[in-house]
Amino acid sequence: MIFKCRNCGGNVVYSPEKHGMYCPFCQSEGSQERQEARTGSLTVCPNCGGEVPVEVHTSATQCPYCDSFLIFNERVEGEYTPKMMIPFQLGKETCKQSLREKFGKFRFAPADFLSEVRLNSMQGIYVPYWFYDYETGCYFQGEGATVRIWRSGNTEYTETQYYAISRSMDITFQKIPVDASEQMPDDVMDLIAPFDYGQMIDFSPEYLSGFYGEKYNMGSGAVENRANAIMKTDALKLLRDSYGGYRSVKTLQQDVTVRGCKAVYGLLPVWKYIYRYKEKEYPFYVNGQTGKIVGTVPISSAKVWGYTATLWACLTAISALVNVLLGLL
Amino acid sequence: METDFKKEARKQYLHYFRIWFMIIGAMTVLCIVLRIMNLMRHDAPAERVYDYADVLTDEEEENLRVHIARKEQQMRIHIVLVTMDLSVEGAEAREQYGYRYTDWERNMQDIADDFWDENHYGYNKGFEGDGVLLLHNWYPGQNGEHLSTSGKVERAFSDYDIDRVLYAVDAYYATDPCRAYTAYVDRVCELLENSSNVLIPWPVVLIVPLLAAGIYAVANLRQQKAENTTAVNAYVAGGKPDLKVKTDEFLRKKVTTRRIETQSRSSGGYRSSGGGGHHHSRSGASHGGGSHRH
Repeated sequence: MIFKCRNCGGNVVYSPEKHGMYCPFCQSEGSQERQEARTGSLTVCPNCGGEVPVEVHTSATQCPYCDSFLIFNERVEGEYTPKMMIPFQLGKETCKQSLREKFGKFRFAPADFLSEVRLNSMQGIYVPYWFYDYETGCYFQGEGATVRIWRSGNTEYTETQYYAISRSMDITFQKIPVDASEQMPDDVMDLIAPFDYGQMIDFSPEYLSGFYGEKYNMGSGAVENRANAIMKTDALKLLRDSYGGYRSVKTLQQDVTVRGCKAVYGLLPVWKYIYRYKEKEYPFYVNGQTGKIVGTVPISSAKVWGYTATLWACLTAISALVNVLLGLL
Repeated sequence: METDFKKEARKQYLHYFRIWFMIIGAMTVLCIVLRIMNLMRHDAPAERVYDYADVLTDEEEENLRVHIARKEQQMRIHIVLVTMDLSVEGAEAREQYGYRYTDWERNMQDIADDFWDENHYGYNKGFEGDGVLLLHNWYPGQNGEHLSTSGKVERAFSDYDIDRVLYAVDAYYATDPCRAYTAYVDRVCELLENSSNVLIPWPVVLIVPLLAAGIYAVANLRQQKAENTTAVNAYVAGGKPDLKVKTDEFLRKKVTTRRIETQSRSSGGYRSSGGGGHHHSRSGASHGGGSHRH
């Protein structure tokens, strides 16, 4: 499908800044009209007929010839229909600014790292996620010690008291997110969280117009172990928090029991910027809702040596000149 | 596009170091101006040995001049010797020679400082330049020396150092004045060489910036990694667990004791530094110095 402007026929896209559909050609707002592809082929652009490169999991992309954003019905409908999504809240310009603010002071980055030309290659992607709900019962039994120290004369007294600790709690976890995309690194997707679920809405394909997207690459069962690990780590932390205040605690027994589990498919917004330097790719990911950035800046060895040597030369010259000046004064 | 990025890199580099380059430029200009101004000042006389008391032979004077010239080149200071045979003490001397004081020590100080200032001594500069002057008065009953220091010698010499120079003279003046004055020259140079009160030693000028540049490189190579900012209760319904059981039952207690040892403290000494006998001469120049009267 493609969203076209009723007024000018241009491709209407979702604008995070305007929080609505927007035609960049005639500046109309809310003028979108859904048009279905006439051919059955995914690789033919319904707008210009050009050949569009489509990966096996691509659900939304941009035609390289006419720049129209295309959404593939087969990959957002039926079993691939996301139940919910968070639309992009940050536009490309805001993300570019965030990157400049975060990395602008990093002296040893290549000169073109934050250039307009490079940053313009940034892509907004709707990443497929599985959201897991867990009903759990958590139990802990242990022995805790408190310590009190006081002095009397030349003697120091240390009193240690021991307690039997017992805790039992029910924890309901909601929407633990686990990305279902093979091309997105799991550790990066974990770091880019959290997302504010207050802006989560029901899925609508209009929000995909203007961005790239993927359907889930693997089923909920394939990635459930990651959600389970997050759930167990958090549950144990919450248990630990409940018996804080002891100097030391010895665990005698603890258990996290899952009473119920449910997975729901949804989409979350991520900006992706790939910087290529010396034949190596440096990916940067920006949370399309909160602006949190994950990525490692490449280092220009020429800059490291150039700047360090210049600083050394400047400091040496200044010290030498101070010496000469003090001698002349 | 590659050319544009190189141009941009050059621009970033110049922008980043602009303050440093400006400071270096300004300091270089200042050095040149000061050097020109110093060259335009009065030159000190070439003479270093003024034997008004006539205690040295002509040959001894010449040998001493050669010795001083060699040491001056080595140490980059002026070394002057003045001997005299005049009363500098009492109301009569004050009236006759126009001294400011009646006491020996302050008049000796005045004479030494004035001689230095009026002749524009001071290595490289004249006023408050680097150097030292020994004034030895051989007047019967008022025999003694005053050492006047200036510039880097003043900064480097403590009262103790001044005394060491004067003791070197005291050891030989009665038997061999030439040897006493040679000892004066040698001791001044020896103490100045060992003095830590140099401006910035050249190894420091090279090594400290190297260390600073190394620290700068390491600090700028460090990157702040993204951290997991997801709260432990981020995915918990209602933000907190439903606590069903919470019991803390006392089991037992244990008390241990430890004897506290008390310790006494001792204090350390102190180190002397430069600036011994600091004062200002009548011309306003800063001098150091000290006297020994026999």
